[in-house]
Amino acid sequence: MSDPTTRPAVPVLAAEDLTVRFGRRTALANVTLSVPRGRVVSVIGPSAGGKTTLLRAFNRMNDFVPGVATTGTVRFNGVDLHGDEVDPVEVRRRIGMVFQQATLFPRSIFANVAFGPRASGYTGDLLELAEEVLDAVGLWSELAEDLDRPALELSAGQQQRLCIARTLALRPEVLLLDEPTSALDPPATARIESLIHSLRRDYTIVLATHGRRQAARLSDLTAYLAGGELIEYGPTETLFTTPRDRRTESYLTGRIA
Amino acid sequence: MARDRIGTACGVAAAMVAAAFLIVAVVLVGKAWSAADLGFLFDPSSRVADRAGIGPALAGTLWLAALTIAVAFPVGVGTAVYLEEYAPRTGVTAAVGGAVENLAGVPSVVYGVAGLALFVRGMGMGPSLLAGGCTLAALALPTMIVTSRAAIRAVPRGLREAAYSLGATRWQVVRGQVLPAAAPGIVTGSCAAFTRTAGEAAPLLVLGAVSFMTFAPRSPADPLASLPTQVFAWSTRSQQDFAAVAAGAGVALLLVLLVMNLVARAVRRRLQGVSA
Repeated sequence: MSDPTTRPAVPVLAAEDLTVRFGRRTALANVTLSVPRGRVVSVIGPSAGGKTTLLRAFNRMNDFVPGVATTGTVRFNGVDLHGDEVDPVEVRRRIGMVFQQATLFPRSIFANVAFGPRASGYTGDLLELAEEVLDAVGLWSELAEDLDRPALELSAGQQQRLCIARTLALRPEVLLLDEPTSALDPPATARIESLIHSLRRDYTIVLATHGRRQAARLSDLTAYLAGGELIEYGPTETLFTTPRDRRTESYLTGRIA
Repeated sequence: MARDRIGTACGVAAAMVAAAFLIVAVVLVGKAWSAADLGFLFDPSSRVADRAGIGPALAGTLWLAALTIAVAFPVGVGTAVYLEEYAPRTGVTAAVGGAVENLAGVPSVVYGVAGLALFVRGMGMGPSLLAGGCTLAALALPTMIVTSRAAIRAVPRGLREAAYSLGATRWQVVRGQVLPAAAPGIVTGSCAAFTRTAGEAAPLLVLGAVSFMTFAPRSPADPLASLPTQVFAWSTRSQQDFAAVAAGAGVALLLVLLVMNLVARAVRRRLQGVSA
């Protein structure tokens, strides 16, 4: 994996002994995990196992949940995300996120793409940027003439791809994808999967997913989260073929949903 | 079916409301008929019913409407945005919210007394249109804040989170997504709150509204004249002739409110069209 003669590179994202509570509920308990640059890491596990909370901890989206309490550290390129110097707005510009449900703004396709860049004071040509990111998600050929159309008129699969394009327009270093295909039918899912596959060249990706096969197909590393605990984390192939933990094994073989 | 019966009952209720409105309109117009001519709209007050017009009162009501909106809308929407999007979720915020809700139930005449102390005397505005506009704005504010907050709260969380996740600051999220999505609700609620105040007589009478004015007000510092107080003043006159004039002023007031509601509807449609 890495050249043994150099110092191990600083991981892009690292959670250290991370615990997140919402009121009395513990959503994540003492999770330690690091995401190396340029890799696709999938986070699998049952519903309410902590996948979404972990992703949202990486770009401080948990800040918006009332009653949230976070202990431990989250580092982005070595910098503590909860440090005093850190502006969460800037964090979110560099660590993009796509949600489970496509959450497009009730505006035109173009307005959706332009919102993020405009918010961060982008001075370049927005139309060029829109073409670039829509092309990256395979929407440009379909929608080049329709940028003024309401985004909500698109199909579910197109909407989710537009959500990804909108996030790419921020030119982030990391993409956090929170079950991006769980609301889609198989053909749309396949398109998103091949899109993720093509994005891995340029981005570090953390993908939360229900689909065990999706994780196996797409990721270099896989983390299994259940009940807020990180049960196992390692290279995807190893985890899927020879899991070290019995709980991982029973999850992968489908004995727990 | 029980549901059919409820439907029928609702239909009957709606018909009764429509009928009541029609009766009011017919009675008013019937009474006002003798006063109806174009001069009535523009003439100043007179001691003779035949020559009395609603010019100053109509102009006063339009002034009051403009002043009320100018004061109440920014303050009301600003307060609602602050309470929903910025204020920490503490007991103090909840207490302020509760106080605002209670203020919505305070009788309008009490606002008149407060306005008299605060605006007319305290701030030295005198019994002017400005004092009237400020008092009516205060009267409209609680309802405006409560309905605006509800409209803001109804904006889906996903929309906010998507905007935040795209690196928007709080203000960019509010300005770019929350307010446009909440705008139709805010306008609807604000108009309901505002039109209620546009027909108020009691607080203006307490402030010192004039019932006899020989010129139309030209600035917010001019004396406080308005259609509702004019209707009240004329309806307390003993001469029979003034009843028709009072009814005429009443019809004019109804028409003014009708136009305001139509304008509000048009604005709301536009806003919904934009956000769709």
